[in-house]
Amino acid sequence: MKKVRIASGSSYWGDMLEPAIEVAEKGDVKYIGFDHLAELTMAIMQRMKAKDPTKGYIPDLIPWMDALLPICHPKGIKLITNAGGVNPEAAAEEVIKIARAHNITNLKIGVISETDMFEKMKELRAKGMEFPNLDTGEKDIESIESKIMAANAYIGADMIIEALKNGADVVIAGRVSDTALYVGPLMYEFGWEFKEPYWDRIGAAVTIGHLIECAENVTGGLSGQWDKVKNMAQIGYPIAEVSENGDVLLSKVAGSGGILNQWTVKEQLTYEVHDPANYIMPDGIADFTTVKVQEVGEDQVRVTGMTGKPRPEKLKVQVGYKDGFISEGLILLPWPDAYAKAKQAEQTARKRFEIVGLKARELRFDYVGINTLHGELAPEPNYEPNEVGLRIVARTDSLEEAGKVGREATHLWTLGGTGSSYGTPYRPRPVISLWPTLVPRDEVPLKLTMKEV
Amino acid sequence: MPKVLLKDLTYTRSGDKGDISNIGLIAKDEKCWEIISREITPERVKQHFGQMVQGEVKVYPMPNIMALEVVCYKGLGGGATRTLRFDVTGKAMGTALQRMEIETD
Repeated sequence: MKKVRIASGSSYWGDMLEPAIEVAEKGDVKYIGFDHLAELTMAIMQRMKAKDPTKGYIPDLIPWMDALLPICHPKGIKLITNAGGVNPEAAAEEVIKIARAHNITNLKIGVISETDMFEKMKELRAKGMEFPNLDTGEKDIESIESKIMAANAYIGADMIIEALKNGADVVIAGRVSDTALYVGPLMYEFGWEFKEPYWDRIGAAVTIGHLIECAENVTGGLSGQWDKVKNMAQIGYPIAEVSENGDVLLSKVAGSGGILNQWTVKEQLTYEVHDPANYIMPDGIADFTTVKVQEVGEDQVRVTGMTGKPRPEKLKVQVGYKDGFISEGLILLPWPDAYAKAKQAEQTARKRFEIVGLKARELRFDYVGINTLHGELAPEPNYEPNEVGLRIVARTDSLEEAGKVGREATHLWTLGGTGSSYGTPYRPRPVISLWPTLVPRDEVPLKLTMKEV
Repeated sequence: MPKVLLKDLTYTRSGDKGDISNIGLIAKDEKCWEIISREITPERVKQHFGQMVQGEVKVYPMPNIMALEVVCYKGLGGGATRTLRFDVTGKAMGTALQRMEIETD
């Protein structure tokens, strides 16, 4: 039976490069997928492009390609990335420069244009279509229209497959779904199509994409296995050896750090999923409740039994809009009476906010070391803490009001009781709120351009 | 009745989608699965989290891997980009759920 080996080479903007180099050199893979985008990244990219039209892609693209192209091109390893952000064309120009600097020739690059849906959605609204907020149920997108920064559709693997059919060595996309980076090459290699009888296979590809797209999160990162992991600092990225029937053997480069066992796979399988029987992606709907997970060796896990349903008729569009500012401050209070001093400092800050007339949408105080993470579920300490932090944070409509929060937080440097300690003040940060909604698939334009070095 | 903490029965990983907190709870063995699949209900999870979860809670079983998917709507104080919580993506929500006391029989 035909098998294809595919690895993950990044799971977020800022991830580690060394494990990607390791899978390229030693992983015996044919494809590496790179996810660099989170939910609000597109709005950040849009802001970068507005300042400089040659930007708007993920800056990590440059060191990644600089390190990986010279290793991967001679071996025929194909690289599939969403680092194009809102400007895949500019990202492609950078890749071309890098290829030339390394004297690489015969490099084909597939560029999938980003689909900004802002104008399109205006047209559709004029025709009476509505775009309710999927999370909150709010109906009236016009209430945020003047503040919209970006509206990007999560597209599927269609154009990745097309690029590979055209011989692409590198595929640069923007907001393709994370799983599409892996679904694309698998569908291309096995000749699966978006129709019967392939939905179970595509369901398998979506599941495999979900399992490896978060890279180190399936090989020991963020895991209940944290105390069993060997050599976390040199963690290996996951490799999926996929069979034509959709079954997969997950592994990592022998000798790399981390751990890959039934628990790390199950953790990732449940990660950021709603209904596990209907994991909805642009390419298909995977059913995680039919999957079998089996340890077959050290750092080797076989996953079988994947199933799926036809892809949805609508695609998710993530609308990002400006929504004021968040400002915060932190002081740390030492023993003795650290907690009592922190509580007094909260009262002082609250009164100061009244005096300066702070207009905040929301105001929050956390006691660092006591309840920052578990909030009201955290029990009161029954011991004398060595130190307690007081974190002050507020959301405001204007930068001016946000400035008041930071300013009053710094006043606690002197008003906070014996030993009040502080670092560098934080700057207020703009808030980008999200309005997820659905658009008909047919209304989302897909465009592929091939370039060659 | 004997009681244990949910942390002793499960592994957990949690994350976010907008203002929704998604918590995976993976039973450590069949006995643990029997207990959590019986005891972890939307009502109990909702009650456990109190003000931390403002919306509805759903619990989806995954008997194939002896796990539960716990979905908490309005669970992150507004979602990663606008919440005032330090834990903007709800990575610690799973461990907060693991504080729950469970009756074992």
